[in-house]
Amino acid sequence: MKTSNILNALGIILVAFGVILLTPIAVAVMEGEYRSIIPFVTAALTSIILGLLFQKYGGFSRNFDDLRRNEGLLIVSLAWIITAAMGAIPYLFYGLHPLDAYFESVSGITTTGATILTDFSLYPKDFFFWRSLSQWLGGMGIIVLFVAILPQFSVAGRQMFFAEAPGPTEEKVTPRITHTAKALWLVYVLLTVVEVILLVVAGMPLFDAVCNALSTMAAGGFSPHPLSIMGYDNSAVTWIITFFMFLAGSNFALQYRVLMQQKPLALLQSEEFRFYSGIVLLSSGGLCLALLATTQLSFHDSIRDSFFQIVSIITTAGFSSADFALWGVVAQTVLFTVMLVGGCAGSAGGGIKVIRVIFGLKYLKREITQIIHPQAILPIKIDHKSVPDDVQRQMLGFLLFYFVLMICSALAVTVLEGDAAIGLVGTAATIGNIGPGFGEIGPMGSFGGLSVATKIIFIINMIVGRLEIIPFLAMLHPDFWSFRKESPKGLD
Amino acid sequence: MNLLIYGATDLGYMVALRLYQEHSVTLIDNLERLPDKFNNLDISFINGNGTDVSALEQTNVKKCELFIACSNLDEANIVACWTVKKIVDIETICFVRTMELYQNLVAPKQTRYITRYDIDTVIWPEQQLTQDIFRIISVPDAIDVEYFAEGRAKLFEYRIKEDSVLRDTAVMHCSFPKDVLIVGITRAHKLFIPNGSTVIQINDKVIFMGTSPALDNLAASIFRSSNHIKTAVLIGGGSVGFMLAKKFEQAGIRVKIIEHDKARCLVLADKLKKSLILHGNGTDLELLEGEAVGEADVSVCITNNDEKNLLCSLLIKQLSSSGRIITRVSNARTGQLFEKVGIDVVVSPMESALKELLNRVQVPNVNILALVEGGQGEVLLLTLPENFPDTRVIDLKFKVQAIIGVVKRGRRLIIPYGETVIQAGDQLKIFTTAEDAETVKTLFTR
Repeated sequence: MKTSNILNALGIILVAFGVILLTPIAVAVMEGEYRSIIPFVTAALTSIILGLLFQKYGGFSRNFDDLRRNEGLLIVSLAWIITAAMGAIPYLFYGLHPLDAYFESVSGITTTGATILTDFSLYPKDFFFWRSLSQWLGGMGIIVLFVAILPQFSVAGRQMFFAEAPGPTEEKVTPRITHTAKALWLVYVLLTVVEVILLVVAGMPLFDAVCNALSTMAAGGFSPHPLSIMGYDNSAVTWIITFFMFLAGSNFALQYRVLMQQKPLALLQSEEFRFYSGIVLLSSGGLCLALLATTQLSFHDSIRDSFFQIVSIITTAGFSSADFALWGVVAQTVLFTVMLVGGCAGSAGGGIKVIRVIFGLKYLKREITQIIHPQAILPIKIDHKSVPDDVQRQMLGFLLFYFVLMICSALAVTVLEGDAAIGLVGTAATIGNIGPGFGEIGPMGSFGGLSVATKIIFIINMIVGRLEIIPFLAMLHPDFWSFRKESPKGLD
Repeated sequence: MNLLIYGATDLGYMVALRLYQEHSVTLIDNLERLPDKFNNLDISFINGNGTDVSALEQTNVKKCELFIACSNLDEANIVACWTVKKIVDIETICFVRTMELYQNLVAPKQTRYITRYDIDTVIWPEQQLTQDIFRIISVPDAIDVEYFAEGRAKLFEYRIKEDSVLRDTAVMHCSFPKDVLIVGITRAHKLFIPNGSTVIQINDKVIFMGTSPALDNLAASIFRSSNHIKTAVLIGGGSVGFMLAKKFEQAGIRVKIIEHDKARCLVLADKLKKSLILHGNGTDLELLEGEAVGEADVSVCITNNDEKNLLCSLLIKQLSSSGRIITRVSNARTGQLFEKVGIDVVVSPMESALKELLNRVQVPNVNILALVEGGQGEVLLLTLPENFPDTRVIDLKFKVQAIIGVVKRGRRLIIPYGETVIQAGDQLKIFTTAEDAETVKTLFTR
């Protein structure tokens, strides 16, 4: 591992992130909140200066051609940790405890949407804008963003691109990685703009429309309204957000095919997308029935809320159109089930990902068939193609690690908080980047009242979950940390 | 007819043997002396390479009407067919042995490429064998089968039984594959041409016309209920096994394939959707018992080893009480022995290929392509004259009973619907009743 590569790459990312940190100032000026300028200027300057310092120690090299796999993984992990820290600086100016500020920032940039805020009226609009913007940046992946906009990463981008999204499918829509990254961002920006327009047409104020759209497309879940989407009390808004959350939870590379390459069937041909739609329809239907049976909601309200809530949880957005923490046990069980599924590979959503769920089910089916036909050759096929053995092993490993981590974290939090519901649901909600859980940490509640240790565990959960565990696991091996010296070219 | 055959191979011998009595056959191959067995045949032989223009010109190829390439080298066969086409535009038949080449040459999508392979007929014996096996399994009930357009279009006649899905259905409501038409119905020994509202009744004999693959699918999907085949076991997962399994899957039959080569198993498992691929030896009695091979409705032994096929068939025969057994044999003479020891159906790729070849050679070059129902129905071949205006089929006002079954444009086959436009130069295959045949002819050629 070469320290200069890591320092340089992080330095470049920090400078760019510092520039992005200046954008909330524009909102501050427009809204006349001049007091909000200082926090963001401070954060931006810190980030830029730190970035330049990193680059100075790295020797201002722009040559990342010899980037190794473990270096790529470390850059990606550190990039998320450090940018989250930079993003937390503005929050400090509004009286948040440093840990709370970092929690809020990590929750934002990992698109989790769990909040420690309890009283929304204390903060200016700019504060909420930054929360939503940080989610939007994290939704497509900050590395993908920098690979798209920074020419320095044109070659090394490949390593980092796949380190950030180590999904089982290689989602390159174009041969060049920078083009792919640009294509993905193009779809992302386009959908966000369309959503803002639709929300404004549906009657939402422009500022709220922008913030909610940024959070929706990122499958984030921060809303400027303390009651989330429920607070707007507008059916059209609920349906629009449902639709865009659904898109945010499906593969952006496939949406690029549909929108830009005129292949309208690309989405429908994908087994993952069909399965994802199937789960959404089926569980929404089930939830709707459960709501009709146990609550006084009207038929239209039940359908709307069940669709909204299922999509919101499965795409890991975590918005709420109703306080689902108050719903019955059946309804909450349905929600918890889809909480474990997550979005499609290559989407803004987190969680286990639909493709791995499909794989897991097919694997179980194969094992059962193999008992009856011991000599049968039974490949596991997704999209009519056999899944190669190494990918199979990787996915099984992922599933195993995911559940191991979940159980460990759930047990630890249960002990710390003395509440099994917070332990289990909170872990699932943070490791899957969903956001709100049930009970005290439900959609109308807050993570603010948790103990310091719990918050730290949840912060780790969020970052590990966003990076899909693999970079984190790689770091546990001692060989990962074998730094190489600044040796002459050709020897390493 | 004058025929030119390239390749003094076993296949070439079989072809010559079948054809030399009715046609004058010339054989070309790169041999000093013709193998002895050919000396019994009354054919002429020329020593030369079939891919060589000057050698071909020596054979008087210009006077021939048909060229058959059946040497041992696929690529040489293809080149020979092209070379012949350079000299003179006669019909060419090319034998190939591998799936890839066959698919290159005949795949329907090749029409979208800029240059087409200019070979009229490509015969891949294993593919013919597959079709034969599939037909034996799925259409034992067809009363009549006729071939047109070098076998690419077909006519099937079926009797509608009590449990048929088509019974009591109007023709326009029948759901059957694309590229299939109902051209005639015989009810109480009287043939008539149905229209959309004609209702099919029990004991009707319905005549279908269409492209070969579409009719095979029709046979499998609509008439399968009459032969109750639900499960099949294939011993041997070579090309034939693979293609058969694919056809069975389309027809909704559950398939188990037993194949001894692990690598081939993986390939099969990857390419087939629902078939169960078992890695093991077809002669392994425990495996056969464990996988309940005896309960399958039909078992097909298609390894490329005659002895193994025989042993497998006999083992399955022991296990099975009711299932049919179909066995592949390379040598047609051994086949008779197979039948003696109790194997139901014996098939051979070479025989299948020959049958296909003869179908094409023997299409009479006259206006009447086929007679149906003891001459009550006729299939006429008409070429539209140069001055024929483009017309939609729906706008043709037949005053008589007739239906256009197949349109051949260039080398393309079109199964026409009401909206199809027919043009000057199209070859029409028209199904009509005997009494109206003359009227139909004058209608198009005036």
